[in-house]
Amino acid sequence: MRMDEQELIRQVQEGDEVAFGQIVMTYKDRIVNYLYQFTGDYQKAVELAQETFIRVYFKANQYRPVAPLSSWIYAIASNLAKTEMKKTRRIPTVSLDDIVAHEADEKAYTEDPADCGLVKNLREALNSLHPRYRIPIILKDIEGFSQEEIAQILKKPVGTIKARISRGRSLLRKKLEKALAGGRVSS
Amino acid sequence: MEELGLLKKLEKVKAPPDFEQKVMAQVSLRKRNMRQKRTAFRLSLTGAFASLLAIFVLLNVFVLKKKAPLGVADGKKDIAAASEKAPAMSGQMIPVIETLDYSTEVRSRSYEPQTIYLLEQVSDTTSKEIKY
Repeated sequence: MRMDEQELIRQVQEGDEVAFGQIVMTYKDRIVNYLYQFTGDYQKAVELAQETFIRVYFKANQYRPVAPLSSWIYAIASNLAKTEMKKTRRIPTVSLDDIVAHEADEKAYTEDPADCGLVKNLREALNSLHPRYRIPIILKDIEGFSQEEIAQILKKPVGTIKARISRGRSLLRKKLEKALAGGRVSS
Repeated sequence: MEELGLLKKLEKVKAPPDFEQKVMAQVSLRKRNMRQKRTAFRLSLTGAFASLLAIFVLLNVFVLKKKAPLGVADGKKDIAAASEKAPAMSGQMIPVIETLDYSTEVRSRSYEPQTIYLLEQVSDTTSKEIKY
């Protein structure tokens, strides 16, 4: 599989759009889901995922086969998401069209609509976490990456990642306990 | 850690069905834009060089060429100015013509005796240079 991916990205580096299409097919759901967990906004996640793959195509020459292709794509997605979060924090505007589209899309493409209170609280608690902790937790507990892989994606030492996951989980547990005790999740 | 296990149960979303087409369309669009930008850049670069060349040529032809023979031009200007003044003054000037006889001034060489001067070194002790 790894060899196939390396071959695919090598072909993309030569401008092969078919190979690029295969990479998009392989990773589109994972990247959209990852970005959705990160942003909590389906429309935004799709837009960012599109931008991620466009960058994969145009910056394919910058890829070095020292890390798996998935790590590189997730790194691009993470950076884009972080930049987008900074932007939205600076300009907190929400389009009404986006809300309608988000609700419609969310209903259309959600695999497992879990509407129970606990999961809802968990989502709120996760969204209220600082991205510093949220990203490693999503990558570890939702996407299933190892700590070494997360360290590669985020370009941080493994020790830092371990500490952030531990601290993030602890914060998440506290927020969840507080929410379940009756209060709303505070950021 | 029970609640952390719930993280896996969080709703998972998939990419919309036309995701791939949109990405490919965006890639094609950006490629086209990049090509256009590159072409525009090349054209503007060529245009800039061409205009610089044109400016250089025009400067050479119309400005530097006129300035180079400055003295001659000024001289011509002076002559022109003088010739313009001349007709104005010609009404006041009286032309004087004086005849000169040069026959007394010039003697024919044929009446003079033919003389040949031989110059030779007189002494070896003195300087070897020939003295005239």
